[in-house]
Amino acid sequence: MSLTRRAFTTLAAAAPVAVSLAATPRPAQAAERVAVLGIDADPPTLNLALTTGYASGDIGAKLFEGLLWLDRQWNPQPSLATTWSFTPDGREYRFTLRQGVVWHDGKPFTAADVVFTFNEVLAKYHPRTAGMLKTVGAKVTAPDPQTVVIALEKAYAPFLVQMSVFEAPILPAHIYAGTDIQANPANLAPIGTGPYRFAGFARGSAVTLVRNEHWWGKPGLDKLIFQIIPQAANRASGLETGEVDAIVDFYLPKPDEPRLMQNPKLQFRKGINIPAVYFAMYNTSRGVFADKRARQALAHVIDRQRMVAQVMNGLARPGYGAFGDGFGWLLDAEDRYDVKYKHDPAAAKALLAAAGYKGETVRLVHDAARPQMRAAAAILRDNLRAIGMPMEIVALERAVQLDTVFKKRDFDITLQSYFSAGDPAIGYHRIYETNDSGRPFTNASGYSNKAVDALFAEAATAPDRDRRAVLYRKLQAILNEDLPSFVLFDEETADFATRRLTGLWPAIDARDQWGGVTLAS
Amino acid sequence: MGLLGYTLRRLLHAVPLLLAVAVLNFVLIAAAPGDPVTALVGDFPAPPDYVAKVRLDYGLDQPMPVRLARYLGHLARGDLGYSFANRAPVASLVAERLGATLKLTGTALGVASLLGVALGLAAARRAGGLLDRAVRLGATAAYAMPEFWLGQLFILAFAVWLGWLPSQGDGPLRGAAPGWAGVIEGLRYLLLPATALALRYIALIARITRARAVEVLRAEFVLAARARGASEARILLDHVLRNAAPAVLTVIGYNAGFLLAGSALTETVFGWPGIGRLLFDSIAARDTPTMLAILLMVSATVVLANLVTDVLHRLLDRRVA
Repeated sequence: MSLTRRAFTTLAAAAPVAVSLAATPRPAQAAERVAVLGIDADPPTLNLALTTGYASGDIGAKLFEGLLWLDRQWNPQPSLATTWSFTPDGREYRFTLRQGVVWHDGKPFTAADVVFTFNEVLAKYHPRTAGMLKTVGAKVTAPDPQTVVIALEKAYAPFLVQMSVFEAPILPAHIYAGTDIQANPANLAPIGTGPYRFAGFARGSAVTLVRNEHWWGKPGLDKLIFQIIPQAANRASGLETGEVDAIVDFYLPKPDEPRLMQNPKLQFRKGINIPAVYFAMYNTSRGVFADKRARQALAHVIDRQRMVAQVMNGLARPGYGAFGDGFGWLLDAEDRYDVKYKHDPAAAKALLAAAGYKGETVRLVHDAARPQMRAAAAILRDNLRAIGMPMEIVALERAVQLDTVFKKRDFDITLQSYFSAGDPAIGYHRIYETNDSGRPFTNASGYSNKAVDALFAEAATAPDRDRRAVLYRKLQAILNEDLPSFVLFDEETADFATRRLTGLWPAIDARDQWGGVTLAS
Repeated sequence: MGLLGYTLRRLLHAVPLLLAVAVLNFVLIAAAPGDPVTALVGDFPAPPDYVAKVRLDYGLDQPMPVRLARYLGHLARGDLGYSFANRAPVASLVAERLGATLKLTGTALGVASLLGVALGLAAARRAGGLLDRAVRLGATAAYAMPEFWLGQLFILAFAVWLGWLPSQGDGPLRGAAPGWAGVIEGLRYLLLPATALALRYIALIARITRARAVEVLRAEFVLAARARGASEARILLDHVLRNAAPAVLTVIGYNAGFLLAGSALTETVFGWPGIGRLLFDSIAARDTPTMLAILLMVSATVVLANLVTDVLHRLLDRRVA
């Protein structure tokens, strides 16, 4: 078999693979108020009750509602519940539900949906709320279709904080009852009560929501499109080119944020966020850091200001104490790091010598995928070198890092960051509470102090904030002395949007409360 | 042996090869340190019973050989498995994304083949001339630049600074114009990623074409053709290209499979919703069934591309037995 010359010439001309270049035309609608929001990856589910994933939360917060939402000052504001009250001992909460609310499919919303959601979904599947409901022994009932009562066996101070859409989204019982909750198709095409309803999910590309005409408020936009932009640097570019209208801090690389703040087309909200701390956790069950004097030595030399400037491009505040400074009501000025540990290399060396340190290399483990950890580790290595402590930096893939730190505890220092989720009892107790379970994102330092555990238990259940503040100050006095972990800095955030959008960010969480956002004409 | 027999024999050989690839991929991923479940349950201490449930859902409660046997059994039935990270069957995930990847890689390969051959021939015509030197220098530079870096530069230059082209996605999200305006709009989205992906292959193909063409141009039969008064175009197309074709085709064919693998980075940089991106995301999410399916598909493409290349090679060059 051979080719003729003509056949060859034809073949050569047609050799490139024929491809269809035609884009799928999408119908254009005049004067539609559309906002494009950048996110980082395909959300694995749009059912907010099954995940704390950030992008799922971003989208889900527009589809679903909680009983209440938290404003910038952390005050609970009415959402699906219009009023609420609780008993003085903090063991019974009573919510009155909004009347006339309907689900996106037109069915009426009632107290039965709330009871079902708490008992059958949140208590079983929500990564954070399930544990909380179990710990406090919550019993959820509906005395009438407009009222929900939640009785707790044990009082829990941040209970209302955990009633937001991210921690307790309300799902439709008529869609989920009697089904396999995790496999329900509605998880990827949700029915909520929120200001926007689901319109489509093109994997790898975008999730589209359209205005919910039957929402109890008035949605300000016709369409919300969540564009999936995998590269962090290109999310910032998307804002600059105008392809994207708004992006929450979480998705942006810190080095790009100062530049975006200078962009006249953009507006931003800086410094209002749910607190999160970056910290160095010491392994107190082996080596030199078993002695608290060695941990204190490092507190004298770790350059937190330099970390703020170089690791976070100024978008952080240097470590204040055991819980950072994100919760102003609990700060202990007397025992803060600045007071207890002045920059003093000589004192640090003396403390190390007293701890019996002989110049062994210490091993620092961090998640390789996080550039902030890499940069903070490099500064830490400089700081330690100055006092004669060599440090080996081990950057590991996320799952390997979790295994190495929390299960095997094969580290001397590890860099971690924990999100408070709105209250120290939700997110920060785990840094210091005794925990030998090997579960990721807990206390892997091996530090165990019964007095500390007892104070934490009381701080979590005391309903009165003044009492809680006293307890947290006692805790800071102990923890700033013992230093099983050392807070390097509190993260500050900056959320960005085009100036054409108005009504942005009334909530503490920038993803929440988009019903009132609209486009300026 | 006839061409049909040869093709069938090669296809038959591909089966154990792909089986070995499937087993190797599975074992390597299973042997990777770290618990995939911890990567999946988020960044809060999930309750132990919740973690146990996720582990059960993923089938990770079983020992590795059992999981491997189960995987191969499903594969034999054409079942690629279920992606828990995406909560969807892997086959439908891949099918949804394949079109975008074919559009991107097909365009890149097409453009690279055409431009590469044209540039190579043009350079060979005056070997050592200005154009030749420019092509050789350009090809070396283009070959040396990683696609993802080039892509990032393209975005900065053409999307952020000049504002000419979109930086992300495979089409307008806010609603596209109908008809030809829509087609042109679609092309604007394709231009940067396809160019970023194609440049390396343009360089490769141009260099090979040039090298072969220079050799052929020195051959006696070309001299004879010139003596017969054949036009320059005829000499290039009929004599040079035809004789250079087997080598050029080999390069194009062998690289077609790698192009698919290489599109992962380009797709990630440009937010292109193809299977390369899906692979990248599945690695980050430790989504083993999706990873395995795409790796197997890339391997199958490489095998198939090699087979097609060899068959074409035999058609073009009768000396290949």
